[in-house]
Amino acid sequence: MNHPPERPDLTRRSLVGAGLAGIGLGGTVAATGTVLAQGAPAPAPAQPGALNTGPTMQSGLGPRLTMHAIDNFHGTPGAGMVCDLSVREGDTYRPIKTITTGANGRSPEPLLIDDALKTGRYELLMHVEEYFARIGVALPSPNFLSLVPIRFHIRDASQRYHLPILFTPWGYSYYRGS
Amino acid sequence: MAGITTHILDSERGRPAPGVRIDFSVMEEGRWRLVKSVVTNADGRTDTPILPAAEAKIGQYQLEFFIDGYLKSRPGVSEADIFVDNPVVRFAVFDAKQHYHVPMLCTPGNCTTYRGS
Repeated sequence: MNHPPERPDLTRRSLVGAGLAGIGLGGTVAATGTVLAQGAPAPAPAQPGALNTGPTMQSGLGPRLTMHAIDNFHGTPGAGMVCDLSVREGDTYRPIKTITTGANGRSPEPLLIDDALKTGRYELLMHVEEYFARIGVALPSPNFLSLVPIRFHIRDASQRYHLPILFTPWGYSYYRGS
Repeated sequence: MAGITTHILDSERGRPAPGVRIDFSVMEEGRWRLVKSVVTNADGRTDTPILPAAEAKIGQYQLEFFIDGYLKSRPGVSEADIFVDNPVVRFAVFDAKQHYHVPMLCTPGNCTTYRGS
């Protein structure tokens, strides 16, 4: 099965700059100036998304696919998350578009809207390791989660689909929202 | 204990999901290679570890959970409501001496995974 190209620069990202090279991350590791994802308590994050946005109500809107990335490690929107949307065709996924979430953790426009929303199996590939590295979270190398495939099935193109994704460096949850 | 294990839980009912096929793959030279297909037992687990401790090594791994058949077989579940049918989890073993328990919690409209223990 083919997928969008893997990014080995992310999967084998060096932590030399963070001073963690060669250190086992099985437990809490002290590192000045970095936020640790494994081991608690963690100090305040360097630069997570600002929490100054409100919820969005979409009741009554037409067919569309929208998404919302929520950083459950920091309790903020997942701002600046790169996401690759693709649709399954046969045994492969065909890329449709790549977006970066805004300050509210949402894509700037609906991922698909009106006639562009078709039934089928979709994948939203979230660049989670890159997201946490960018805001200064110290992670193992390679991190437990790097490129996270969010797969879902749109079965009725006349409906509205909302896709919230709650993520941390160690897990994620997604669901059909509203 | 090193290696990889998993567990599929039907979190709508709070019960294990038996009889679900899981495909386990490893990244080799930029491609996913299928290592084996297994089926969950009555406890929602596999009879043997997905990756035994003796075979644990650093790398990128993938679990594909074919839960759609299980969900469709449940009374009261309409196929039209199955939003998450075959979730895929990709993760790294970054320290071969550690254990990686990767559970899959699922309902027709939701799935959750994490590094468990």
